[in-house]
Amino acid sequence: MESDNFAYMELAIHQAKLAMESLEVPVGCVFIKDGNVIASGRNRTTETRNATRHAEMEAIDILLEKWQKDGLSKAEVAKNFSECVLYVTCEPCIMCAAALSFLGIKEVYYGCANEKFGGCGSILSLHSSCSEPSISDEVPQRKGFKCTGGLMASEAVALFRSFYEQGNPNAPKPHRAVVEKRVE
Amino acid sequence: MNKQLQQIIHIPANPPVSPTRQPTEKVYASLIEPKHANTIIRRLNQIAPLQDLHHLKRIHKKQIQGGKPELFVILCLASENEQQSNTMPPDVEDVVNSYNLTPFVTEVCKHAALSKEEWEEQCKLWPTSYHPPTYNIHGITGFSEEDSKSVFSFMKSTVELAKSGDHLIVNAALIVDPLVGQIIASACDEVCSWHMRTSKAKTETCHFKQSEGFTSDADANRIATNKTLLSNGSSKNLQQCDTTVCCLNPWQFTRQSLDTSPCYCHPLRHAAIVAIEASAARDRHLFPGSGNSEKLYEVDSSPSGSPAKRQKITLENVKNGGEQDVNTEGSNTLTRPYLCTGYDIYLVWEPCTMCAMALVHQRIRRIFYALPNPEAGALGSVHRLQGEKSLNHHYAVFRVVLPELEFTAER
Ligand SMILES: [Zn+2]
Ligand SMILES: [Zn+2]
Repeated sequence: MESDNFAYMELAIHQAKLAMESLEVPVGCVFIKDGNVIASGRNRTTETRNATRHAEMEAIDILLEKWQKDGLSKAEVAKNFSECVLYVTCEPCIMCAAALSFLGIKEVYYGCANEKFGGCGSILSLHSSCSEPSISDEVPQRKGFKCTGGLMASEAVALFRSFYEQGNPNAPKPHRAVVEKRVE
Repeated sequence: MNKQLQQIIHIPANPPVSPTRQPTEKVYASLIEPKHANTIIRRLNQIAPLQDLHHLKRIHKKQIQGGKPELFVILCLASENEQQSNTMPPDVEDVVNSYNLTPFVTEVCKHAALSKEEWEEQCKLWPTSYHPPTYNIHGITGFSEEDSKSVFSFMKSTVELAKSGDHLIVNAALIVDPLVGQIIASACDEVCSWHMRTSKAKTETCHFKQSEGFTSDADANRIATNKTLLSNGSSKNLQQCDTTVCCLNPWQFTRQSLDTSPCYCHPLRHAAIVAIEASAARDRHLFPGSGNSEKLYEVDSSPSGSPAKRQKITLENVKNGGEQDVNTEGSNTLTRPYLCTGYDIYLVWEPCTMCAMALVHQRIRRIFYALPNPEAGALGSVHRLQGEKSLNHHYAVFRVVLPELEFTAER
């Protein structure tokens, strides 16, 4: 189980490296359901000029499109999300953490903390659900998710470091990351 | 429609506190001889400056009935610790001893007053200074008649987008360039109609191409499309799929355990998100080719203290690199905006946390909303992102009260 966590995070880091090769801030993620990778995503904010196109949002769109194409019902889609585990190299920001809670995701593992924008403990704690159960239907009931940080954090931080130290992005990159795949 | 009730209310970064319940801090104070006042204060300002309490007056002059006024001075902060022994710095103790003072602990207000009412309350504890804001960068201290007219008019257009008949059925968003009064993008919630749009796009192309295609061509006609969508009866479709204003109840999706209808929905396509997407599509359309030259995703996860500095250096380099692109494009009278810097967004309802943070990311300058979102709003109701100090961007937030809307919303 423990080694699976590393293997999945390794895949997320691979996505982050792909982002960096495209001169995007290196953040990547994978969605896991029943032990399988069902979607992956990487940051595309620069390319799209849309600063909300974080890795998580990219992967979520892929999933929704896929499930829609497969003709799944709303109930099935909601159930699928409730069985998904997300591995992301950096703590989801406030926007993504809110989105993950709206979708009712089961669990999140992240690498390094996001001290400026983090929505899973750093700035807000959107993963922890509201304490009182709602009495009436009028009041929306928040949904939380299990969240564990620090998984391969140093690798994620190293990626940020090399991205920010890289200087001119058009210059040749001294250490283009060699992707080491531990899992297939 | 009562014109007099129309108003624009600034929603500040700090939650309003009752003037009588402002946070306080404990300090050591003492009665002093007026003839020593100057020397003592000069000394205290050196050895025990009032760091974060600059709004406090160091001296408190109390007029005793029928007698001479008494002077009190703040010596230094008192520790929160109950045992008060030895909490005074040695230098301050020296002052106490040399002037034979008798220190006592008293409470003062921790933060500078934001209003005259707060200030009047503060002075009952210990006098403070109050500086009413004199700047007007974002309309915080009020709007000119012309500006308010334009704010009300944009808000009314936004409300129209959200309406079907007399009912507000979805949230709507309008991104506006206030300098030229131009609409940059507009959108409604698309948690149900997402399918309609994706099916219009070529299904053969890959995911990314697809989303790029439909956003950019939809961009120009967006207002028109939305208006016809709502007015020609297709609003029935929207009602069929249990449309609610998604920012008001964003968790609704997770409770659809019985809904076996096909999922044509995208639970995250709230109006603000869709509008941001449309404005980004417009940017790519109007300014092609200057793409990979800016860093749009910022994160501070380096355990060392200097990432901010490093980011700045990088941004500088990046900008230099990007200049070449601009030159090769020849003269272009339009200056390319950096994301939504300088733009305003109008929303019928106060946005949820996801949308409010998306607007931080996209660097919106001002947010105007008409109706509060008490259960899920992130601009004062549940969270207050405009006051989160750690964020790298802060917008100004206003509520636009439209009397006719209050009535509509109640139904
Ligand atoms: Zn995010
Ligand atoms: Zn929202």
